Amino acid sequence: MNTVFKNETFRDDFTYRNTPQAIQRFPLPFPEDSYMYSVNIEPHLPGPRGSVTEFAFDVDEHYVAECRERAIVLATEPLRYQALPHMLSSQWDCLELIMDSLARDYPAHFSLSKQGNRWHWVNRPLQIDQQFTFGDTSTLPRQPLDYITRQAQGDFVVMDQREGDLWTEAGMVTTQADWSLDFDVGMTFKEWHGPVPLAHELQVFDRALKFLLNLRLGQPVRRLNWTMTVNPRLDTSPENYPHWGTDRASVTPQNAGDRVHLRVELQGLWRLPRSNAIVFGIRCYLISLRELSTVPKWARRVHRVLKELHPALVDYKGLTRYRDAAVAWLAPFDDGSPTTPGTAPE
Amino acid sequence: MNDAQTITVQVVGIEQVTPLIKHFKLAPVAGGSLPVFSGGSHIIVVMQRTDRVHKNPYSLLSSPSQLDAYEIGVRRMEESRGGSHFMHDAVKVGSRLEIAHPVNLFALDKIARKHVLIAGGIGITPFLAQLEDLHDGSVPYELHYSVRSAEHAAFLERLRRREGDKIHMYYDDAGLTIPYQELLAAQPLGTHVYVCGPAGMIKHVIGTAQTWGWPDSHIHWEQFSAPPVGDAFEVFLARSKVSVHVPPDQSLLESIEAAGVEVPYLCRGGVCGFCHTKVLELDGELVHNDHFLSEAEKAKGKSIMPCVSRAQGKRLVLDL
Amino acid sequence: MLVTGIKSKPVYAPLQVDTRGRYHLMLGMGVGGAPLLRVITDMRAIAAQSLLSTRVLFLPDSAATGVAAHAVQFETAGVADVQAFSGTPQLLDRFRTLLSQSLMGTRLYVAGPESFIGLAMKIALEFNLNKDEIRAEECGTLARRVYCIHCRATTENVRTNIVRCVGCDRWLLVRDHYSRRLAAYMGVMADAEAPGELPPIKEVFL
Repeated sequence: MNTVFKNETFRDDFTYRNTPQAIQRFPLPFPEDSYMYSVNIEPHLPGPRGSVTEFAFDVDEHYVAECRERAIVLATEPLRYQALPHMLSSQWDCLELIMDSLARDYPAHFSLSKQGNRWHWVNRPLQIDQQFTFGDTSTLPRQPLDYITRQAQGDFVVMDQREGDLWTEAGMVTTQADWSLDFDVGMTFKEWHGPVPLAHELQVFDRALKFLLNLRLGQPVRRLNWTMTVNPRLDTSPENYPHWGTDRASVTPQNAGDRVHLRVELQGLWRLPRSNAIVFGIRCYLISLRELSTVPKWARRVHRVLKELHPALVDYKGLTRYRDAAVAWLAPFDDGSPTTPGTAPE
Repeated sequence: MNDAQTITVQVVGIEQVTPLIKHFKLAPVAGGSLPVFSGGSHIIVVMQRTDRVHKNPYSLLSSPSQLDAYEIGVRRMEESRGGSHFMHDAVKVGSRLEIAHPVNLFALDKIARKHVLIAGGIGITPFLAQLEDLHDGSVPYELHYSVRSAEHAAFLERLRRREGDKIHMYYDDAGLTIPYQELLAAQPLGTHVYVCGPAGMIKHVIGTAQTWGWPDSHIHWEQFSAPPVGDAFEVFLARSKVSVHVPPDQSLLESIEAAGVEVPYLCRGGVCGFCHTKVLELDGELVHNDHFLSEAEKAKGKSIMPCVSRAQGKRLVLDL
Repeated sequence: MLVTGIKSKPVYAPLQVDTRGRYHLMLGMGVGGAPLLRVITDMRAIAAQSLLSTRVLFLPDSAATGVAAHAVQFETAGVADVQAFSGTPQLLDRFRTLLSQSLMGTRLYVAGPESFIGLAMKIALEFNLNKDEIRAEECGTLARRVYCIHCRATTENVRTNIVRCVGCDRWLLVRDHYSRRLAAYMGVMADAEAPGELPPIKEVFL
């Protein structure tokens, strides 16, 4: 893997862009021309070579910039990382899962050597060289989950399992689509998902919870979720809504191609071995409508999905102010011709 | 769930620890480490006999941090269909077995303010692993272990060495029984009780705890039923369109699997509810042996847990 | 953004005696005295001996007339241990002390405004009381505690759909999203997308 890590920003001047290679591997979440919720969970098995699911955790050209963005957020808002005291063993589980995966899948960038509990971790892109004792928090500069997720793309939420429920009790959440870990920490699975419309009535969460309570070690699963974001802004947190709320009113049919981004979450779920907890990885991919339109099938499909989207989802995803502008910008790319099934660029 | 991810292990040690219990050490044939697990987990051991396959659940009793080999304890069951007898009689040092990844259906509650562990006989095994997680001393705990007599007290030396005064022993032949009333009447708020042992003991602990006002969310128990033997019967699988004969000493689940039909499962002991199957037609009676369905559900006869339950009568049609 | 109809909003139910409990700890505030009295009356009818293991901590509402008499009524009804308090912090302090001395088998009953229930629940959580050990009935004011997601200040006694944050002065829209850990609803800036554009302010939590 010869990934060239880009130097780019997710705030202020927003220099984030996708290279043509990154566009080709973008995880489009729409297998057909319309969208409604489903329990779209599938085994997290290795996908095709070069795809975002080739490995457990995808490290792409945005890795270094995303880690830098996370550090910027945490410098002023430390509570974007939280862990209740009983979650310590799950923190070590997460650290092990991420380090093992990155070192195995990207040996050019990461290495991990273990002599019993004496571990040596090297992260070349971020120039980190750390020797520590696994299980001994005092040998790391930060708590284990805090430490390792500062070196990973995407958000992480750790859920404890008890009383037949999953409890959101630790996490690193700086690249989220408008939900707050600080507010939600301690919630049950359904409380946490309380603000999602329609899905409760469809029993999506009943079924998802039942499924996850039985999630097995060594058999992780994944699903895709999506929303839209104005500007390539990773931190669309409720905490910072005063800073990004006005973005939504800035979209016009003329600038939508560059301003409006499809925001896709590749969500992976792993049972953790020591703690019997579950870690929920939420990896965010951003693509502007202009970048998306370079793939004709995707432009037609996204145009159709947005045009027909259920009003409750338009509201929930915060698209009310700019959906029409995005649809208008995409319209010229949709000649009405059919799209092939599946999400491949065709 | 399925066996796609079994691990091949080799028996590297067998010790007869009591007249009825053998202690097995299972190391990965491929070398290296076995998966990390949490205290209270069990594995499914797949035993390939010439005429059939047994898949029995056994709690892991080794320390969750010891990964060169897993340890299990197997009690020879008097009324065995052959699983425990196979482990006792046919499995030798050097034998190879397949095991599934650990699953935990008996985890310690992480926000408990105190743990009370109650074991009867072979029921000590899940606690041996859980105790390792309690050693940091942040949450108080006590272990009450009841056995027939001193010679039946499996793993006692190991426990005494590690637990010291936290362990309370009760020998039936000395007339000592666990003082359930006193034990459960005066525990501080936020205590959780865990019991693993014979059915009667589990029932008694649950009953006593409830009498003293314990809510269900603080009472935890695990008992893997071995699938009991019964009369032979026939079952028709509606979706697969096959008839399956279930012999007296083979479980419904095993018979269905032998016919090439996959049923999702986790515990194979009537606990987890994963193999829950709809009964489409029944002329006769279901023999429910699971701990998952409520009495009302059992009476309705609309569903069955094929891992441990059976049928008697003329006709049974399942939604498989 | 969903504002109402969020599933994290707690659901309350009229209090009923849980006869499976051994010890009964009751907390009431203001008009919450009435439901407690109802439970105690029920208890006397179906499980009179439970009154001996029942304690009541009560905060009379000075603004309302008549309810101060509840404390006396609890005693007349046969409750062994009744304590009245002059303020919520004093009552909650005593509650915490009692929980630290309580045994498994204790059931908690809380009756009063949601903000009071929320504070009691928050303490109960520290002692690992689960859903099957707690009952709560909401009565009295629907005024909310609102946690500002931007500055993390909590504004008390919120009666309107939109409120000015005591911490950062922003106008907050009060959502139904509720945190038991914070014992508060989420407040999120109401005019972030179009500064100065506020929906009409209405009294909705009365």
